[in-house]
Amino acid sequence: MLKFPYCNVTDLNQALAQCRFVGLLGPLASRRQSPRAVVSCSPSSSEFSLTPVQAVMSCQQQVGSSLVNRLRLGGLTEDGFSYKEKFIIRGFEVGINKIATIETIANLLQEVGSNHAQSVGFSTDGFGTSPTMRKLHLIWVTARMHIEVYKYPAWRDVIEIETWCQNEGRIGTRRDWILNDVATGEVFGRATSKWVMMNQDTRRMQKVSDDVKEEYLIFCPREPRLAFSEKNNKSLKRIAKLEDPVRYSKLGLKPRRADLDMNQHVNNVTYIGWVLESIPKEIIDTHELQAITLDYRRECQQYNVVDSLTGLELTEGSKMVSVGTNGSATATATTREDDHDCHRFLHLLRLSSDGREINRGRTEWRKKPTR
Amino acid sequence: MVATAATSSFFPITSSPDSIDSKNKKLGNGSTNLGGIKLKPSASSGSLQVKANAQAPPKINGTTVVMTPVEGFTSEDAASSLPPRTFINQLPDWSMLLAAITTIFLAAEKQWMMLDWKPRRPDMLIDPFGIGRIVQDGLVFRQNFSIRSYEIGADRTASIETLMNHLQETAINHCKSAGLLGDGFGATPGMCKKNLIWVVTRMQVVVDRYPTWGDVVQVDTWVSASGKNGMRRDWLVSNSKTGEILTRASSVWVMMNKLTRRLSKIPEEVRGEIEPHFMNSDPVVAEDNRKLVKLDDNTAQYVRKGLTPRWSDLDVNQHVNNVKYVGWILESTPLGIVESHELCSMTLEYRRECGRDSVLQSLTAVSGVGNLGNMGEIECQHLLQLEEGSEIVRGRTQWRPKNAKSFGKMDQVPAQSA
Repeated sequence: MLKFPYCNVTDLNQALAQCRFVGLLGPLASRRQSPRAVVSCSPSSSEFSLTPVQAVMSCQQQVGSSLVNRLRLGGLTEDGFSYKEKFIIRGFEVGINKIATIETIANLLQEVGSNHAQSVGFSTDGFGTSPTMRKLHLIWVTARMHIEVYKYPAWRDVIEIETWCQNEGRIGTRRDWILNDVATGEVFGRATSKWVMMNQDTRRMQKVSDDVKEEYLIFCPREPRLAFSEKNNKSLKRIAKLEDPVRYSKLGLKPRRADLDMNQHVNNVTYIGWVLESIPKEIIDTHELQAITLDYRRECQQYNVVDSLTGLELTEGSKMVSVGTNGSATATATTREDDHDCHRFLHLLRLSSDGREINRGRTEWRKKPTR
Repeated sequence: MVATAATSSFFPITSSPDSIDSKNKKLGNGSTNLGGIKLKPSASSGSLQVKANAQAPPKINGTTVVMTPVEGFTSEDAASSLPPRTFINQLPDWSMLLAAITTIFLAAEKQWMMLDWKPRRPDMLIDPFGIGRIVQDGLVFRQNFSIRSYEIGADRTASIETLMNHLQETAINHCKSAGLLGDGFGATPGMCKKNLIWVVTRMQVVVDRYPTWGDVVQVDTWVSASGKNGMRRDWLVSNSKTGEILTRASSVWVMMNKLTRRLSKIPEEVRGEIEPHFMNSDPVVAEDNRKLVKLDDNTAQYVRKGLTPRWSDLDVNQHVNNVKYVGWILESTPLGIVESHELCSMTLEYRRECGRDSVLQSLTAVSGVGNLGNMGEIECQHLLQLEEGSEIVRGRTQWRPKNAKSFGKMDQVPAQSA
């Protein structure tokens, strides 16, 4: 007799998406049946050969209630190397166009990343730290965030986000996301982020040591898997520091209490809002954000005041390559802005007090589609 | 009964939400009444091209129901190998029939969920994505929310803005499900014709306990009459798992002509549209009738100026979302209070709206310490106004000391709901 994985109605979609190898999910099924089981985690180097599922079994700490898991509509994929979760876009998450704001999307990316960490037994203090990291007071901090949205979801749309993480060089790790619209099955966005390890107390960067690497690499895809696999894609683009002339600015931005996360730091997503604050109404009304890249340089504290500066992005030789309305690239001799279909900006967030850089970024805007 | 409900999933579903709950719980129970159902393997062919192992049986009281292999059922070879006609074999094969019903139900649900999850019927039968559904004789709307990590504030609990967002969301979804949503945002068709809109004038929220990351809250909301020409909307927020009441809220709405901005009586036509949805109930929060004083620079002890709306503060009408006012009110509440106390009760009177270009200031006065015999409780008065003077919101808040026990240890996994 076949044994079906534990499920109820709310898990059905997840089960349908993932339940292809019933046997593989056997251990997970029994894990969910006894959510109160507490298993201590002690990874050793030999466990690198474990499959993610077995690793979850041996390292799983006490997870939240099963009701939460059922209603969370998310879970590890069948091979355990990535995590998928569904979300419905709620009314307070849409902006003036009844479509989800970029902050909503960024919040959901953060949420699904945290849930992934939690589902493999990592901490839920908001930092996604593994047990060894916690022992050594190490946390992940975001170095770069790059999001591209091809079609924004609307209020009440159901989206599914898949995320996974992997090594990035010697000192970092990266997390990638793919966003799809459940109703159409289309990919409507992609994102990638780079993280570095920092000592919580000294606030200094630290190389990822081997024992920490092993703890989380079990859950990473064995082969490199990139959300942006095309060569020279925008997520790799170096962001120049914004020089004068500054085109638009919004000065004196202060963190609100609502901008602080559970660790009393200014939430990463708040910076996105600040970058957009200096974009004028004329552009917000006619264009939508197509891509945003942010390099996080310095933390902002609750009491800081921030200036948001925006300028046009120029390519080398002061030529602005703009995309014409028929889709072909046309090089223009001067910095023309009368191509109203596409805008590219450089951004700088800096402390009002001494001008030190907090973030730099670039954004691309396309004309709003008629809906 | 369960069987009829399962087969009716192929047809326009008219069963009430309750039967779905019972369907979830009882499906798979061997003693279901299968009367009247003739299921043959061949009848399942066309629409049941589903991978058997993609199905999952519902859970009954936490135990997995083990089903017979359903592939055997869909592969249509059941008819080709007839067992000998002994007494035992002449009895209906309950497990096969059960499997058939489950398959039909699950297949229909898969199709329904994959293709047509958007609710077209006001009575939502299943709520996998937390869209919400009408319960209790069609008068109460219920929706679940899972508290997400970014909704947790610096206090490590869901912020008051998160709670109010949930209230606002259920209010809109209630209107939509009940067919009260015309063209506008919560206006019935009759109201739209006359350019009338609902405007909230007063809001009271009492928080008994704040949910934390991972909690699932159930929000129930309903409307009743408020005087002759007003409407009251109440909410009850409870912990989905334990049933503990977390928050109670009540709001008063009046009808306004959106062009003239003048208050209006409820026209008879509109009364006919909305009164069937009114519940006859007492307010869920005891009305706090104390007058809200207007603060000024002299009476206010704390002032925060230069507050400007961000792009993300605006709603679809380019007005600042009501919920954002609460955040601004808290901006001028002294950090000492905000860090050591939690907001337990709030009364707001909405006066005016503001938009993107407004510049506001937030004034706070501490009006009472140790009120109502509760040691450590603090009461504050608030005013949010445009810097040029027009009032946006008046408010009163009560704060109780943060309970050391409920601080929770956030470096562990989220506490099991209550």
